[in-house]
Amino acid sequence: MSAAESSRVVHEADVCVVGAGAGGAVVAAELAEGGARVVLLEQGPRHDIDKFSARPPEMLGRLYRDGGQTATLGSPPILLPLGRGLGGTTLVNSGTCFRTPPAVLERWAGEFGLDVDEATLAPCFERVEKALSVAEVTPELAGANALVARRGAERLGWSHGYLRRNARGCVGSGVCVFGCPTSAKQHTGITYVPRAQAAGAQVLTGADVRKVRVDRGRAHAVEGRLPGGRRLEVRAPRVVIACGTIHTPLLLQRSRIRDASGQRGRNLSLHPATAAFALMDEVVDMARGVPQSFYVDEFASEGMMFEGVAGPPAYAAMALPLTGAAHARAMSRYRHLAQFGLMVSDSSRGHLHVLGSRPVIRYSLSREDLAKFRAGLERLRQLFQAAGAREVYLPLPAGVTPASACADDLKLMAFHPLGTARADARASHGVTDGDLAVHGVEGLYIADGSVVPSALGVNPQLTIMALATRLAFHLLDREPPGGASRPARDRRDGSAQADGKPRTQELTCPS
Amino acid sequence: MSAELERFIAAAPLPQRLGLRVLLALASRPRGMALLARFPLAQQAAFSTLALGRYDDPAVGRALGWNAEQVVAAGRELRRSEGRP
Ligand SMILES: Cc1cc2nc3c(=O)[nH]c(=O)nc-3n(C[C@H](O)[C@H](O)[C@H](O)COP(=O)(O)OP(=O)(O)OC[C@H]3O[C@@H](n4cnc5c(N)ncnc54)[C@H](O)[C@@H]3O)c2cc1C
Repeated sequence: MSAAESSRVVHEADVCVVGAGAGGAVVAAELAEGGARVVLLEQGPRHDIDKFSARPPEMLGRLYRDGGQTATLGSPPILLPLGRGLGGTTLVNSGTCFRTPPAVLERWAGEFGLDVDEATLAPCFERVEKALSVAEVTPELAGANALVARRGAERLGWSHGYLRRNARGCVGSGVCVFGCPTSAKQHTGITYVPRAQAAGAQVLTGADVRKVRVDRGRAHAVEGRLPGGRRLEVRAPRVVIACGTIHTPLLLQRSRIRDASGQRGRNLSLHPATAAFALMDEVVDMARGVPQSFYVDEFASEGMMFEGVAGPPAYAAMALPLTGAAHARAMSRYRHLAQFGLMVSDSSRGHLHVLGSRPVIRYSLSREDLAKFRAGLERLRQLFQAAGAREVYLPLPAGVTPASACADDLKLMAFHPLGTARADARASHGVTDGDLAVHGVEGLYIADGSVVPSALGVNPQLTIMALATRLAFHLLDREPPGGASRPARDRRDGSAQADGKPRTQELTCPS
Repeated sequence: MSAELERFIAAAPLPQRLGLRVLLALASRPRGMALLARFPLAQQAAFSTLALGRYDDPAVGRALGWNAEQVVAAGRELRRSEGRP
């Protein structure tokens, strides 16, 4: 046996899932519990919670891809942090849980031909919410930062509420996005991944998948590298890619999967965000309590959603839109600083391409979205002023007002990239079909943010997980418990087979 | 520069890493500061990164009512006593 052969690790499975984030971990657990032999491959590590230090720079460097400094090119450049490791971005997210808004589902059915509606997805949402212990934040746990926004919203008569989150036994440590030190946040790395393992799935970390092998139009294996340079091969008649919106199109491209629609890497929506600070009379101690615990949705129909955001001094100092003495003065009153965020449901669309092995992400803000930011920043100012702020610090250069801001004046981040392998029933318009099967390739599926065909206007993790649940049960050829039965049919084009049986190959899934 | 900030910068993709190092070098000299003042975005990037490091210092945090060590210790205790993962 050659040295190369002996350093090659080969696994066999019914399904190989690539990426252990919101989508991948859910698919892997549901399939494994359904009786399938599953191998789950994750590029990042299993993070050791004993090393969570609640210190932002260290944790950004440790838990995030590129230290959280992945950025888009365009006007303006936008920071786009992504998680990496078991749990994917759910490990570092804020834990906010929204179901897909019904109007969005209607649009998907009408515009993209997807067979989804509130009722058919409800069992999947229920299942995910139960698995993640999703519940509304209590006012006590929400902390004083939320109280500031609540007071402002109440005085203005704006619609608002406490957010629903996937947390259990949360004590409001204030560092959700820097690694929850109490394991209260029910990210997929401590929920679905252990379930997958308990049901027999093999989970490999440090597994960098380089290629999906396709032969005569059928996926049959994935190839990658393990730590130490060992070559990895997983032979499986079904492959589910869940590398996230930025990395899934790259894997498809590396694998030379035909892109008949020309949509791969396109349609990138970001849900761009910004945040303002306010100096209050009262002590806020923004990092005491749940940072993202409260929302104001008065202007959601106009594409503007306001949600809480907060963190320890190092985080606040980095985010505070001031420099020099003004920054030092505001930071000396950190205990009195409040912060609240604005997210814009974008009509701007970006696209990805590859340079070397890295993604290049292009995205520029449309006029329409710029207008939403202008209006949103003005509303943030109003919110804080109504709450009694002494000073409001908007994320704009000195002397620039919301009304006069141009795109390059905005200080934006984005946390919710979606759409780069969008689902569309028509092979000419989408990368996957409505059942998340890649058009034109048998046995290849996608289960992550990349399939979400339009901006959601809300945080996406629950949508991604519900779609992943639906895919898993589809692959098992079962209905999610509680779901209405759906006739067996050709999942590719929606038409019934002559014999009424699904065309795709069955898994042997003992129940 | 603290080890934590160094790790944060080292984790950045190459172009940003190089860019940040140049900006931080400029920000450490009066003439560099004057130059940066002409480019508000670059100035803000340098300033934000330095502020991230400065306010991460445990002593600075404690003076502002934040104690990372205490937060971590409380988390560890909770996980131990309740058998959380
Ligand atoms: C700071 C922050 C806060 C957020 N807050 C919220 C929130 O409160 N609510 C909400 O709904 N959403 C939130 N989000 C977004 C949400 O977490 C993501 O939308 C979601 O996790 C995306 O799921 P995914 O499956 O598409 O990708 P991910 O969860 O990112 O998982 C992809 C996984 O694939 C792995 N991978 C990539 N390439 C490869 C490869 N070649 N081989 C093997 N593995 C690979 C990655 O390492 C990663 O672990 C937040 C995001 C951030 C950054």
